[in-house]
Amino acid sequence: MSQGRLHKPKNLLMIVMLSPYLLLLFLFGVLPLIMAVINVPSKSPANPNGGWHVFKVVLNDFRLVPAMWHVLGFMAIFVPLMIFFVVAMSLMLDANTAPWKKYVRLAYIVPACISGSVAVLLWYVLLEPTLSPFKGLMHWMGVTQAIQIWRTSNLTFILAFMAFFALAGQWILIQFGSLQSISTEVLEAARVDGCSQVQLALKIKLPLIRKYVIYMGVLVFAGGLQIFVEPQLLNSSVYHGIANQWSFDQLSYSLAFDNGNFGEASALSLMLLVPSLIGALIVIFKTDMFEDVTLKSGRKMKKEAQAREAAQA
Amino acid sequence: MLVVATAALLGASLVTPVATQAAIPSITIWVDSPRLPGAQLYAQIMKGKVNVNVQLHAQGDLVAKVQLFNTVKKGWPDVVFGPPNDVAFLKNPLVNNALMLDKLQSPAIWKAFGHGNDWCNLNGHYYCVKNDLAQTVLWYNKTLMTQFGYKVPTTMAEFAAIGADVAKNHPGYSMGPLGDQAAYSSFLESSQCPLNVAKSDTVVVINAKSPKCTRVSALLQPMIDSGVLDVRSPFDAGYIKDVQAGKWLMNVGPSWWGQFVLRPASSYNVPAGQVATAPMPLWAGETKAYSGEYGGGIYTISPHSKFPKEALAFAMFMVGDVRNLVTVKNPDGSHGAPTYPAYGPGNKIWVQAVAKDTYYAQSIVPALDTQAQLIWPGTKPVRYDANGAWGASFATDLAQTKNLQHAIEAYATYTSNAATQVGYAVVSK
Repeated sequence: MSQGRLHKPKNLLMIVMLSPYLLLLFLFGVLPLIMAVINVPSKSPANPNGGWHVFKVVLNDFRLVPAMWHVLGFMAIFVPLMIFFVVAMSLMLDANTAPWKKYVRLAYIVPACISGSVAVLLWYVLLEPTLSPFKGLMHWMGVTQAIQIWRTSNLTFILAFMAFFALAGQWILIQFGSLQSISTEVLEAARVDGCSQVQLALKIKLPLIRKYVIYMGVLVFAGGLQIFVEPQLLNSSVYHGIANQWSFDQLSYSLAFDNGNFGEASALSLMLLVPSLIGALIVIFKTDMFEDVTLKSGRKMKKEAQAREAAQA
Repeated sequence: MLVVATAALLGASLVTPVATQAAIPSITIWVDSPRLPGAQLYAQIMKGKVNVNVQLHAQGDLVAKVQLFNTVKKGWPDVVFGPPNDVAFLKNPLVNNALMLDKLQSPAIWKAFGHGNDWCNLNGHYYCVKNDLAQTVLWYNKTLMTQFGYKVPTTMAEFAAIGADVAKNHPGYSMGPLGDQAAYSSFLESSQCPLNVAKSDTVVVINAKSPKCTRVSALLQPMIDSGVLDVRSPFDAGYIKDVQAGKWLMNVGPSWWGQFVLRPASSYNVPAGQVATAPMPLWAGETKAYSGEYGGGIYTISPHSKFPKEALAFAMFMVGDVRNLVTVKNPDGSHGAPTYPAYGPGNKIWVQAVAKDTYYAQSIVPALDTQAQLIWPGTKPVRYDANGAWGASFATDLAQTKNLQHAIEAYATYTSNAATQVGYAVVSK
């Protein structure tokens, strides 16, 4: 309706605003993709003649299936844990009206400052029965040796918790921010109607930030699929070999930089693009995530809320 | 360490004479931190003759970086210190980063290495310079051995007999860890168990069921069960804590064990005047008491180097010059190269200094010298990460099952897969 008239100038503005992004997308997204495709048939010491059959070789690689189970196991713990915990904590933070709320918010961000390489060292010390500040507890539970904790089969859990503590704080604040954008009128109305704090959180606030939760889910999923730094560091500097080609990205890295096999590394990277691409397409076309993109989308939420109120009335 | 290194690097670049830069050769060197003081000293010595640009790198850096250099066709360092297994990969024609060195120096110098540079001799040509030998010997605590009334074992059966007695009469004392590469270098290689025996660039023998492997697990399993041999890594914080309490009796370990593992206060912290070495115990039915090798770095020279002779001269300085072997000052206050030099003449200089070291109960040199000539020649460099696989499969499996043969077979399965993946045919003999 009124949007139709604004289309033309808006498009021009849109292109101007998009161009820096498009440039970066081309340089760091499309160009590497083209290079990967070109690299697939390249020669390597393992494959002296090169060729497109490397896709098949990668699929038959003895490390691929273990890597898949590692990453899937990691995601099965990490993604739901993140979504549940972050949503719960941000709803509680939003409900809490105490004056020390801002300090609590600060506290959430602190673990997020310890990420990547530092987190690996921190968790090594925390979970090493000889060095840990909790060694009393660990010994009481019968854990006295590092190999009871630091073994490949436990890494799914350890890395999931490591990633959770590194990322949860930031997302709690982001979701807290999205809760702030909910109109006070809606919340007032709900309270007047006798809504309890719990009902307010679960029945009013949660549906209104649903989109942000999905958005978080997508990003957390994409990030989890690409897990690399933590297992790589564990493997190279804490316990040599504990996470050899543990994740997809590590396998791809190892193919390229340990074996000099850029063909197989590119083939694997291209295959890894598929699930992410499908995920992105589903989010774009099968959800209303990217519909009516206005900053903070507060206005739209207000509209939705008004519509809801009207329907309830 | 990094701060020191960076400061030193700055120092090295500041003293570079800018005016004469074009006229004199210029080489770039990559070394790890134990090799850094020697490399920096070399840069100082060569000032005015060769511009030496010293860079600090982790040991394993070259294999990864050379892929990038090959892609952009520039940036290769002239000479690099790296792990021994790298040479098989670097000499591959498609990687092309290990120059054949035969003709760059006189045959007399190559001959002076004795067996010291055998590792670098592939298909009859030299592709690297071995920095140090990491031959295993029997390290033991002389004080405790006397106190317990044990004779230093000369056969593996005697070693196991002591193990049985320790378990019964002195429980808690350790005869060594098996994790990481320790089991391989200490026992499997000395028993000639074929796990990485490359017959050519494309054929490798991996056979965990060979009698030379199964006799190892048969002999050691009771010692694992009784706890005399530890399934943890030698560098495991828990194991270190256990032996720090004066519980280290002996272990089969490489030449660098005394300086790097037994001596430091943060490591096993064995007091001065107790540590001694003996030659390797002999396996039943053998005539030669072979050593395994745990580490022992190499210098490779890039075929892209404009000054390969100058690059090789640096490697020879590191393995043969008294200024690096004995006098250079290390950041920890010690002097000289930390490991057993592979080059005969250099080695003679080095052992004289080490023989005087009062930390040891007696000179550790005779045993090291004996075993330097007896490194099992079966293990060869391969293009897959045979060393990383000890952590990835063997150590994990041993820690969980505590069954040595099972863990050896897990390793064999893993490396067979890894070898096949990079184009080797795996055979059983």
